[in-house]
Amino acid sequence: MADQYLNFATSGLGRSLVKQLGLPAPVTLRRYREGAPLVPGAILVVGSSPLAAELGELLLAWGQEVRTHDAGDSSLGAIVVALDDLESPSGLSAPALTVSPALRKLAPGGRVITIARPASDDDAPAVAAARQGVTGFLRSLAHELRGGATGNGIELAEGIGLEAPSAQGALRFLLSGRSAYVDGQFIRVEGTGGSLPANVDRPLEGKVAVVTGAARGIGAAIAKVLHRDGATVVAVDVPAAGDALAKVANEVGGTTLQLDVTAPDAGAKIIEHATGRHGRLDIVIHNAGITRDKLLVNMDAAKWDSVMAVNLESQLRMNQAFLDAGLPGLRLVSLASTSGIAGNRGQTNYGASKAGVIGMVGASARLFGELGGGINAVAPGFIETEMTAKIPFGTRAAGRLILPSLQQGGLPLDVAEAISFLASDAAGGINGRTLRVCGQSLIGA
Amino acid sequence: MRETLPAVPSLGSLYAAAAPRVLRKVASVAPGSLPDTEAYVESVRCSREQLIAYQRLMGDTVREELPSVLLHGLGFPVALWLMSRKDFPLPLLGLVHLRNEVRHLRAVTPDEELAVSARALGLEAHHAGTAVTIETSLFSAGELVWRGLSLYLAKGVRLDGVQAPTAPERAAFVPPSTTARWRLDGATGRRFAAVLGDYNPIHLSALSAKVLGLKAPIAHGMYLAGRALAQCAPHGTGYAWCIDFATPVFLPGTVEVNRTSRPGGVVQFCGWNARNSKPHFAGQVGPL
Amino acid sequence: MASSPSPRRAVIIGGNRIPFARANGAYIGASNQDMLTAALDGLVARFGLQGERLGAVAAGAVLKHSRDFNLTRESVLGTALDPATPAYDVQMACATGLEAIGSLADKIKLGQIDSAIGGGVDTISDAPIALSDGARAGMLALSRARTLKDRLAAVASLRPRDLAPAAPGTNEPRTGLSMGEHQALTTEKWGITREAQDELAAASHQHLAAAYERGFFDDLVTPYRGLARDNNLRADSTVEKLAKLKPAFGKNLGERATMTAGNSTPLTDGASAVLLGSEEFAAAHSLPVLADFVDYELAAVDFVSGEEGLLMAPAYAVPRLLARNGLTLQDFDFYEIHEAFAGTVLSTLKAWEDPEFCAERLGLDAPLGSIDRSKLNVAGSSLAAGHPFAATGGRIVATLAKLLHEKGSGRSLISVCAAGGQGIVAILEAR
Repeated sequence: MADQYLNFATSGLGRSLVKQLGLPAPVTLRRYREGAPLVPGAILVVGSSPLAAELGELLLAWGQEVRTHDAGDSSLGAIVVALDDLESPSGLSAPALTVSPALRKLAPGGRVITIARPASDDDAPAVAAARQGVTGFLRSLAHELRGGATGNGIELAEGIGLEAPSAQGALRFLLSGRSAYVDGQFIRVEGTGGSLPANVDRPLEGKVAVVTGAARGIGAAIAKVLHRDGATVVAVDVPAAGDALAKVANEVGGTTLQLDVTAPDAGAKIIEHATGRHGRLDIVIHNAGITRDKLLVNMDAAKWDSVMAVNLESQLRMNQAFLDAGLPGLRLVSLASTSGIAGNRGQTNYGASKAGVIGMVGASARLFGELGGGINAVAPGFIETEMTAKIPFGTRAAGRLILPSLQQGGLPLDVAEAISFLASDAAGGINGRTLRVCGQSLIGA
Repeated sequence: MRETLPAVPSLGSLYAAAAPRVLRKVASVAPGSLPDTEAYVESVRCSREQLIAYQRLMGDTVREELPSVLLHGLGFPVALWLMSRKDFPLPLLGLVHLRNEVRHLRAVTPDEELAVSARALGLEAHHAGTAVTIETSLFSAGELVWRGLSLYLAKGVRLDGVQAPTAPERAAFVPPSTTARWRLDGATGRRFAAVLGDYNPIHLSALSAKVLGLKAPIAHGMYLAGRALAQCAPHGTGYAWCIDFATPVFLPGTVEVNRTSRPGGVVQFCGWNARNSKPHFAGQVGPL
Repeated sequence: MASSPSPRRAVIIGGNRIPFARANGAYIGASNQDMLTAALDGLVARFGLQGERLGAVAAGAVLKHSRDFNLTRESVLGTALDPATPAYDVQMACATGLEAIGSLADKIKLGQIDSAIGGGVDTISDAPIALSDGARAGMLALSRARTLKDRLAAVASLRPRDLAPAAPGTNEPRTGLSMGEHQALTTEKWGITREAQDELAAASHQHLAAAYERGFFDDLVTPYRGLARDNNLRADSTVEKLAKLKPAFGKNLGERATMTAGNSTPLTDGASAVLLGSEEFAAAHSLPVLADFVDYELAAVDFVSGEEGLLMAPAYAVPRLLARNGLTLQDFDFYEIHEAFAGTVLSTLKAWEDPEFCAERLGLDAPLGSIDRSKLNVAGSSLAAGHPFAATGGRIVATLAKLLHEKGSGRSLISVCAAGGQGIVAILEAR
C-alpha cells in the first residue's frame, strides 16, 4: 500500500516541513513480524491488585523484561495498568499519576493497556463510576500518545481472571504489533473458554478458514494473514472476481470457491467445499461487502437492497446454514464498520447494514457459543483499499490524516490481524463483541 | 532425320528468334509441310534446386521423383526448337495450347540422365484453324520413360485442301461442386517461368500480354496441369494423364477446381471460372 | 498366457477456462502463453494444487509462434504448480485439446502417471505472422552467408514483394478452401436448411446463457482481463434475428447458400484446462470426481479428393468407438457435437440417420439412428461460446463431466471435428 503522504512525512525533509506547516505527523506503525520482540522495550506493570502480581509473572514467563515500580532508565515498550480492584473514582488517581511520568519513556510503537472490570448497572454507583471512568481515562490518554503508540483496555467480566485464555490472548494481541491500528478500544472477556496456541506465531495451525470477498482489499489481506497464522484458506468471492481470487488462493496455497454469497445455498456450498476438500470448517470470515453510497434523498431500491443483501442478509442466511449443520467450535468474524457505529453521510444503506451486523453478532453469540464456538465483529475505520479509493479525495484525506489519533489510514493488514485474533482459539472467551480497528478515529467517539 | 543439338536450347533465345516473325501472316499450310526432323538432345538433367523449386511452386511435397509436368518442361525447349525453325510452317507466337496427352511410364528419379527427342507428328484441320501435334519423348539409358503429345492450334490458318470440321456441339458446362480453390496472383506466370524457363510473354506481365493482344497475362497451361497433377497423380509409379484447355486463366484470378474419383483408379479433374461458369480445363489421371 | 490386467480408471476432477473472447477484442495483447497460464492458474487455485508436482501437463495451440516451441512447459513454469511438473505440447488442429486430455487419460489408466492437466489455447488476436517464403529463404541464406559477397547476394535476392508478411489462414493447404467453404459443400450435400442451422445456433446461445444464469459455470470459468463470460454469447439470440443475416460461406451457391456468421463459429481467443487423475490421486487429495474418461477415438477422411466433407471425420469415429465399448448411439444422456458450424452438427446427425451412408461409408448393417435432440449441447456449444481452436476440447470435457456429475448417472458422447479432415470423439461416464 503506497501512501505518498506517509512516505513524504516520514522522510527527513518531509518531517521538518510537516512540523513547520502544522500538518499531522504520521509515523510508520509497529506491525507484527515473526521473530520481532512482543513490545519494543521493558513492560511497566502498574497496580497493586493480586492480578497485577500475576501479570508481572505472566509477562516474565513470556520472556519480557518487567518493571513494577518505576520505569527505570531504559525505554518502555508498554505500560500495563491493573485496575481490576477499583472501588471508587479516587482509586484511579494513584495509577494515573504513576503512568504519567512513565509516558516520557514509552518507545515509539509502545502500548498502554488497562485491565479493569466493565461497569454494569448492577454495580454500586461508586464502583460503576470508577470502572466507567477507566474508559474515559484510557481513551483520552490514547489520544495523547504519539509515535504510533496506542492505548487499549481489557475488560474482564466479574469472576474472570488472568488465567482465562482470552485474557492472555487479548493481552498478547494488544501488546503485539498485530494490534497496530487498534487504538482507544476495549476488548471484553466474558468466558473462560478457548485455549492458547502451542506456537504463538502459528495460532491457527490446522484450522480451515473460509474468507468471503477474498479477491482483493481487506479480504485478500485476511486470507494472507490467516494463512500466515497457520490456517488453510478457502477463498470465496463472486465469479466475476475469480481471476483476482485465484491469485490470492495461489499465493496462500488455498482453494477458490467462486460463489455469490447472496445465493440461497451459499452456506451449504461453503460447508460442502470446506469439509469435502479440507475435511473440516473451523473459521468463517464474513468479509464480503459492497458500498452504494447516495444521500438518502437520492437513494433508490437497487442501491439500498443490494447493500443490505450482500452486507447483512447473506450473513444471516449463511449463519443459519452453519448453525443447522451444527459445526462444532465454529468461530466467525463479521466485518462491521465504524459507519455502522457513528454513521456516515451518504451511507444510510451501508450504515444500516453494518450496524445490523453488530446487532446480529451480539444476538448470534449464544447460538454459536452453544456449539463451542463464537462470533464477533471487527469494525474498520478508514482503511486504504480499492473501495475507499472511490471516496472523493478531500473526504479521504481528512478521514486518513486528521481524524484518527494515529493520524493515518489503516492497512487491510491491520484489520486482518484483528480478525485473525478473534478467529483464534485464544479468543474463545470473547463472544458477540465488536472490535474497532480505526486508529482511534473520532468518527463515532 | 535426326538433328542432335549440343544441349537443351534456351527458351528465351528461341522466343527471341521467333519474335521477328510475329507479324508474319500465314493464311494456309499444306498438309505435308511439316519438316521431317527429329530434334534430339542426348543429356538433360534436372537440378535438385529446380526440382525443389518446382515442387514448392505446386504446393507439393518435395520428393525424389520428377513430376510429370516437370519432365514435360525438361523436354519442351527441344520441342520449341523444332517449332521455332524457319521450316516449321505455323507461326510459333500465337499458337494456342489445346491438349496434352502423356504416358509417364515409370517413376523417374532426379539423378537420371535423360535424352530428349521431339518430332512434329502431323497437321489436322480444326474448326478454328489448323492444329499440330508435337511428340516429345524422354529416354533413360535408352529406355522410354515418358512420352507426351501436345496439340497446338494456329488460329485462322487453313489446311490446304482439307475441309475444316464444324465446331462440335458442346453441352453447356455445368460446374460441379468445388473441392479446391486456387487463388492465383499476378506473379504466377513469372514464378512458373522462373522455374521452367518458359518466358513466353503472354504469361509474364500485363504489358507483355497486351503486346500480344491479351487483356491480361494468362497462366501457363502446364502450370495448371502441374497443380492438378500435384493433387491427383500417384507417386512411385507410372501413369497416364491428359488435359484439355478450354478458356485461358487470366492473372490474377481464382480457379474453382473439382476432383472426382472414378472406377479403375481414374481421377478426373476440371477447373472453371466461378464468375461466368466457363470451363478452363478438364483432364484425368489414371493407370497406364 | 496370462491375461493382461484391466487398466485402472482415469477420472475427471474438474476444469477451468477463461471466458472465450471474440478475436481482436477483449484479449488483444494476450499471448497464448498468457492465457494458458491464466487457465492453469485458475485450475490450480480451484483445486489447491499449489506446489503440487503433477504427472504431466499437455496442451497446445493451433496457431503458434515459433517462439512458443515449448508453450505448455513455459506456461507451467509461470503457474503456482511445482516447477518439477513436466509438460509437453500437442497439436492436432481443433482436436488438440481433446487429444491432449485423451492421451493423458491413457497414461493414467496405464499407471504411468497419477495426475495430469490437459487443455489448449488459441489466439487470433495475437496470431503469428510469418515472413513470406521468399523473405524467409533470403534471410536464411543471409544467416548462412560467410562472406560479404554471399551476404550481399542474399540481400539482393530479396524482392520487395517478399517483404509482405504471410498471415496464417484457416484455409486448408491442399484445397485452398476455407473451413467454411468446405462445410458449405457438406451442408449443401446433406440438404441442411438455413432454418435448421439457425435453430441450432439460437438454441446454443439460449442454452449457454441459461447455464451461466444458473451458476453452472461458477466453478468452470475464471474471469480474465475484465471478462467474466464468453463475449460472443447473445442471450437474446432468436431464429428470427439469425434469419436476417446474409450468407457468409458457399456464396457461389447463390440462393442455396445457408451458412451465415450467425450459424458459424466466430474466430475466438481463449484457453481451457482439465484436471485428470487416478481415483487414488483424487481420494488422497480430497478432490471431487465428476466423471470417468472412458475412451476416445480418432478418425480422418479423404476430403482432398472430395470423397468426404472436411469436417465429417467424427461421423466415422463414433461407430468405431461405440462398437469398442458395446454401446449404441442412443445410450447417452448428453451429447456435445462441437459446433464448428451448425451445418457440421446437422450433417453429422443426418449422416448417422442415413441408411446408405451408414452402410456404404461406415460399413454398418443398420443406421446408427437419431439422437434425442433435447440431450444435445444442453449447456451451449461453440456457436455461442466461441471456438479458440485448441481450447474447445477442454471446455467440452469439463462441461460434460459436470453435467454428468450433476445428474449423478449416465454417460456422454463428445464429438469434435478438426482441420485436415480429422475428428476426435470421446465417452465420459458419470461418477
